[in-house]
Amino acid sequence: MASKDLVLESATDRNARFERDAIVYTDKLYAAALRYTKNPEDARDLVQDTYLKAFNSFHQFEEGTNLRAWMYRVLTTTFINSYRKDQRRPQLASGELEDWQLAKAQSHTSDLGKSAEAQALENLPDSDIKRALQEIPEEFRIAVYLADVEGFSYKEIANIVDVPAGTVMSRLHRGRKLLREKLTDYAKELGYSTESKKGKGEKK
Amino acid sequence: MSHIEEIPCVEVLSSVVFIIEGVVEESQNPQAIASHLNSCLACQAEVDHEQAMHILLQDVLRRSCDEKAPEDLHRSIHEELLRQATGGAGVTEVVTQISMTEISIEIDEFGNVEHREIQIEQTHVERYEDS
Repeated sequence: MASKDLVLESATDRNARFERDAIVYTDKLYAAALRYTKNPEDARDLVQDTYLKAFNSFHQFEEGTNLRAWMYRVLTTTFINSYRKDQRRPQLASGELEDWQLAKAQSHTSDLGKSAEAQALENLPDSDIKRALQEIPEEFRIAVYLADVEGFSYKEIANIVDVPAGTVMSRLHRGRKLLREKLTDYAKELGYSTESKKGKGEKK
Repeated sequence: MSHIEEIPCVEVLSSVVFIIEGVVEESQNPQAIASHLNSCLACQAEVDHEQAMHILLQDVLRRSCDEKAPEDLHRSIHEELLRQATGGAGVTEVVTQISMTEISIEIDEFGNVEHREIQIEQTHVERYEDS
């Protein structure tokens, strides 16, 4: 038997290979699922479903490509297709996401604003970081999570989420910006910093 | 003639995310951005700050999102995969077709079957479902 020829791999061998190679991602996928679904029960089910789906379509996975990215793709599409439905939240229009005009409204940040923001981030407890992540729109949350926690490149994210790379950049930019605004707000509430960054009002 | 176009601060600032990610494209005029950053302290400070905040944000996100799956989830995934591998439910569709052909039948005057010959054919088709 030609050992290199994967076509000849028996189902049993393939099953064993899947479990051996993919099972190491369970903790990481669960952590991502927690941020996606926002609760431990759904996160559990999502990860379990992800493994089931991945197992059943493992024959489609191209050997030698990135299994970790592939598992995240299965996780993300499973989440978007099944777990989001009951949230009834409309998806953002893609045109809206490509809009860079918003970014152009940027101006230089004051030194005071800069140090206040850094201080806010350094001092906030984990629970506030997670709360902020939960409060930003899903598209942004997924992009930021995949980039900043998991370290995927924007091109990998484009493939995982199945959107154009430009959209990923836009989501990353706006997601991080929103996240930082929220964290600065929390820090202000907690009294870590009293300086307002841009004189921006409280969120709704 | 090498001329580097002068661009305003807003244009540099709107490219910050690309600068941070290290993916400034040719269409975004990287030379002009670099030259602007060389001469504009405010923009340079902004990029430095963004870079620092980016790293800080990554650190806090990684720290706070570092969570382990519950032990029983590991176990139930393993069991589920085992069940899938052995049972194959949902993966393989099994179609079994049985056909019966009567070859001959002998019935006596009281209507009792004395002899009967039948042929049973069973076809078993396993179809692998591509999801």
